Amino acid sequence: MNERKSAEERTQARASDAELIREAQAGSRAAFDALVRQYDQKVLRLALHLTGSEHDAEDIYQEAFLKAFRYIGNFRFECSFYTWIYRIVTNLCLDRLRRRKTRREDGAVLVNHSGEEMDMLAAVSDDRSFSNPASELERKLLGERIKAALEKLTPRERMVFELKHYQGLRLRVIGEMLNTTEETAKNTLFRATKKLRTQLAGLR
Amino acid sequence: MNCEHAHERIVTAAYGESAAGEMQELERHLAGCPECREEQEQLLALKQLVEAHPVMEPDANLVARSRMRLDAALDALPPRRWYERLGQRLRNNFANLEAAPVAACLLLALGAGAGWLGNYTLALHRASRAAAVQMAQATKQPAQPVATAETGAPAEIANISSIVRQPNSHRVEVRYNQMIPQRIEGSLDDPAIRQLLMLASQNSSSAGVRNDSVGLLASECRAGHSCQAAGIRDALMVALRYDKNAGVRQKALHGLEPYVTEDVRVRDAVLEALMNDGDPEIRTAAINILEPVEADTSVRQVLHSVANTDRNPYIRNVSRQVLSQVPEIQ
Repeated sequence: MNERKSAEERTQARASDAELIREAQAGSRAAFDALVRQYDQKVLRLALHLTGSEHDAEDIYQEAFLKAFRYIGNFRFECSFYTWIYRIVTNLCLDRLRRRKTRREDGAVLVNHSGEEMDMLAAVSDDRSFSNPASELERKLLGERIKAALEKLTPRERMVFELKHYQGLRLRVIGEMLNTTEETAKNTLFRATKKLRTQLAGLR
Repeated sequence: MNCEHAHERIVTAAYGESAAGEMQELERHLAGCPECREEQEQLLALKQLVEAHPVMEPDANLVARSRMRLDAALDALPPRRWYERLGQRLRNNFANLEAAPVAACLLLALGAGAGWLGNYTLALHRASRAAAVQMAQATKQPAQPVATAETGAPAEIANISSIVRQPNSHRVEVRYNQMIPQRIEGSLDDPAIRQLLMLASQNSSSAGVRNDSVGLLASECRAGHSCQAAGIRDALMVALRYDKNAGVRQKALHGLEPYVTEDVRVRDAVLEALMNDGDPEIRTAAINILEPVEADTSVRQVLHSVANTDRNPYIRNVSRQVLSQVPEIQ
């Protein structure tokens, strides 16, 4: 999941990107399409995981790349194109997260084979139930519980956690994408993990 | 290292973001602190637990659908207007410049733009005259300009959209558009009025008209009256970038000020003004406006550059001061 490209690979990628970008800035639709192809699956993956909805993910994809097309002239090569596109996508995602009404989540209590209620974090630490969920249902319930906990984070906390944990990006890059500093991104991550721990530790 | 610090270090370590030396410090603390070791266990458990909501690869149908929809949307976009293409060309030229050949390229770009513009209007003029002549010949009557209902003045020809000669004949079909002077009165909330104001900010040959329109749009933006959806912000950014009149540019900058933190494009437009605007008052105003975002990497980079290369010593000084106010975070 984490893409640890070597520094050399990254430089090469940026050089070929640069040519495509310049062509796209000059008006080449083919160049723009090629740029889209490079990043569009990643964009969908991110939007899908954040929104949980194919419909919403598709909308975000549309808006993001239409914006990119419109504003590609403003790209100044100060950051990588990847960062620039992601900046657009994360802003759109943040807007969407803010607009969503918070669902009041009672959540399903997780129950193991013996019918006992489980403290989920304890279960994971004990390495008992989680590694072999007895049923699809347990797995699904657990997934729902995680989603609910994530939804209780503020949009920015959710975004930082998503980009750091699920997408494997560096905090410095996350800061650039969210138009803030690495330090702020780091602090946001601390808050997010603390909140998640509180949400998920012991349900009784 | 106290426990609060340790908790934070535990998170950075768990995500591979430890700075040099932090890992060893953390290990030492953990060796002697069972609570923090527990904390680390809990965090690792959390990391494992949240994988129950895994990242899924988008399904192939979703990808295909999204791509097709995007293609269709891009195909449906109207072709860009001549001043947008010109603006784009100028912007691209600026983006590719190094410091030294700036002046030469600037002249070249403007010269090319002006030349092209000049030819365009000349061709337009010739075409409209030719069309009028052909029209007269085709109908064997003097061309009658249509009088407007309001003012009684003859309607000017705005442009010719097509000329089609019928094969093997002297007959020609010309499609043209007429300009009819109109007026409209309304409130600033009226979208029609706003649309016209935005057009005026870019399309008027009179600096006075542009000044008035940008001034009105800017005060709308500052008052927070739905300035984004209608594209008013965009119009202000274009005025800031391209208007030849410094007073107009100042008004535009003033209107954009409240949005510099929330809108990255506004921030970038102000950064460009700081780097490229010929008027020192505007560059100074730009620095002040950028204070809320002075910690941003791009802003700091521009301030560094301005602190070294701006021709105005006061501006160089102010840039240095702003840079020294914000402590370097890395």
